[in-house]
Amino acid sequence: MYDASHSDSDVVSREYKISARGVDVFYGDNHAIKEVTADFDDKTVTAFIGPSGCGKSTFLRCINRMNDTIASARVMGEILVDGEDIYDPQVDPVQLRARVGMVFQKPNPFPKSIFDNVAYGPKIHGMARGKAELQDVVESALRRGAIWDEVKDRLDEPGTGLSGGQQQRLCIARAVATEPEILLMDEPCSALDPIATAQIEELIDELRQNYSVVIVTHSMQQAARVSQKTAFFHLGNLVEYDDTGQIFTNPKDPRTESYITGRIG
Amino acid sequence: MTNNGMPQDLPIPARSLKSTNAHSRRRLRAEKCFRALGVSAMVTALLFLLLLVMSIVSNGLPAFKRTIMSVDFVLSQEQFEEAEAALLKTGVYSDFFTQSLVETIQALDIPIEVDQGTINRLLGKVGSILREHYRSNTDQLGQAVTFEIPMASRVDRYYKGTLSREGISSNNRFIRASDLDLADTLREAGLIRQTFNWQFLTGVDSSVDNPGGAGIGASVLGSFFMMLVVLVLSLPIGVAASIYLEEFAAKNWLTDFIEVNISNLAAVPSIVFGILGLAVFIQFMHLPQSAPLVGGLVLTLMTLPTIIISTRASLKAVPPSIRDAALAVGASKMQAVFHHVLPLAMPGILTGTIIGLAQALGETAPLLLIGMVGFVARYPDTILAGFEGPNSAIPAQIFNWASRSDAIFAEKAWGGIIILLLFLMSMNIVAVLLRRRFERRW
Repeated sequence: MYDASHSDSDVVSREYKISARGVDVFYGDNHAIKEVTADFDDKTVTAFIGPSGCGKSTFLRCINRMNDTIASARVMGEILVDGEDIYDPQVDPVQLRARVGMVFQKPNPFPKSIFDNVAYGPKIHGMARGKAELQDVVESALRRGAIWDEVKDRLDEPGTGLSGGQQQRLCIARAVATEPEILLMDEPCSALDPIATAQIEELIDELRQNYSVVIVTHSMQQAARVSQKTAFFHLGNLVEYDDTGQIFTNPKDPRTESYITGRIG
Repeated sequence: MTNNGMPQDLPIPARSLKSTNAHSRRRLRAEKCFRALGVSAMVTALLFLLLLVMSIVSNGLPAFKRTIMSVDFVLSQEQFEEAEAALLKTGVYSDFFTQSLVETIQALDIPIEVDQGTINRLLGKVGSILREHYRSNTDQLGQAVTFEIPMASRVDRYYKGTLSREGISSNNRFIRASDLDLADTLREAGLIRQTFNWQFLTGVDSSVDNPGGAGIGASVLGSFFMMLVVLVLSLPIGVAASIYLEEFAAKNWLTDFIEVNISNLAAVPSIVFGILGLAVFIQFMHLPQSAPLVGGLVLTLMTLPTIIISTRASLKAVPPSIRDAALAVGASKMQAVFHHVLPLAMPGILTGTIIGLAQALGETAPLLLIGMVGFVARYPDTILAGFEGPNSAIPAQIFNWASRSDAIFAEKAWGGIIILLLFLMSMNIVAVLLRRRFERRW
């Protein structure tokens, strides 16, 4: 793991892609995330692991402010993307979400054609002038989503008619079509079979060339396979955050050890 | 299933799956009873429906038929001028026609004494039909023209079987039993026959002097203008209100309060809306009385809760994952709603709207209060007059006819019910088709 080894050397001078500073999240009276402070690298896959209800998805949804859609959710603290606080009142969450793409647990293509699914983001952000340009954008997004060869002959067919794995790759293509810098993935493989999962994991590894990827997963094997950094959450706390190799071979915190060896969670 | 807690004296083979114990027998019996109840409820409902449909059809179909006399008639130029110069013009036309008819009948070698009085009692309004025809077709003067003159409503009812000879008293000034002998003879001679009654569909209401000529056309037009107002107002207002409440408004006690009250409004009796319309639209805002515009406004108030409730339900039914998907690619809240949620909710919204409109179409009580139940003897002249001129509506017209004394209006009322039901049925079919069409897309 090349990235893991070089990350230790220049921690101080590094500019982090995402930085969380004392982030607290409340759902009504429920304190879901407690004082999380962490920095996430660019062009790296970071995995969030932890038992159900530990707050890893909640924290992920803070990074593109999807928690804004939940009326009872309150977010405190700072999250910086490229040094800018995304919870600053001047920040438009709509602009933010164009830069921080998201892929959900269950594939959720729009009930529209494959083409329209991918073209929607670029269209509303005015990223393509004219039809030809839009077609180029869609094609390149579908290629990056590793699904172009499978759907190039049936772009007019509904996206909901694809298989689960194809739908999820379509959603990834849709997310990368707006040229985001960060890609958030909330258990993207939990609804997929092992073959589709392997395809998605391969894709995640390719996406790392261009994006900073944060992935929430329930599968520790998956975290070990795809990520360079791993963060372990437990009961709303960020218990341990380190190189993936380090977490799985030599965890510092006893709770991390208990979880990865299967004693809690 | 365990035997724990079972009485000890039960036979041991209760463990076999094939044997039943008292408990499961009771359960099976309860289920059978419930099924039987359900079936009997269905049968009862179907029987009542059948009874309803049969009585409507058998009572209403006669309204779509009428008895006419088909006869050739020649009016000369001199007769035309004489009639136009007279004081009672239609009377003169009528006399010319009767004279000619008497000659025609005598030419047929019919052994019956024919006098003008008999013919006057048998025929409907001849004079005005002739005058209207010749005034706009002066070139046909002097030529033979075949007229189809509607028979008097009593003759019409005699051939429809709702009036018997025995039912005619000797001092009836509208018809005598002997008149019907002539009618029967003319019928055998082919002069009198029954045809489809277009007049019922296209005509306007008429009073006792021509009860058979009453039609539902003007009221259909009144209902049409009213529905136009309802559609144009209630669909955008209702959908906008539900989108705001469902997608944008903060969830707090105020929106809860509004939601409860909208649900309550849907259950408010329509006559309450009627008196509200009378007070607000007519007495306070001074909008014209009896106008489809006001009727439409009142029915809009009544329809809005229906539309809002069904729209909110169909918005709620759109999976939240679609909203998340749209928001995650950087759509604004409004873009997410209008590009993705609304199209998916469309079938439900349309169905709710059409059901609401159908309800409004059949509503009578509020119309009584705003005066849309009057006697409307002509069509509106302009589109504007269609909205603000006095008019009736289909259900109000039916109510009106049902309360008249002349028996021919009873069949008109039943016929009106058939028209109303046809409209409602076609609206429901449109709702079903729209729903199918929009849902089948993916």
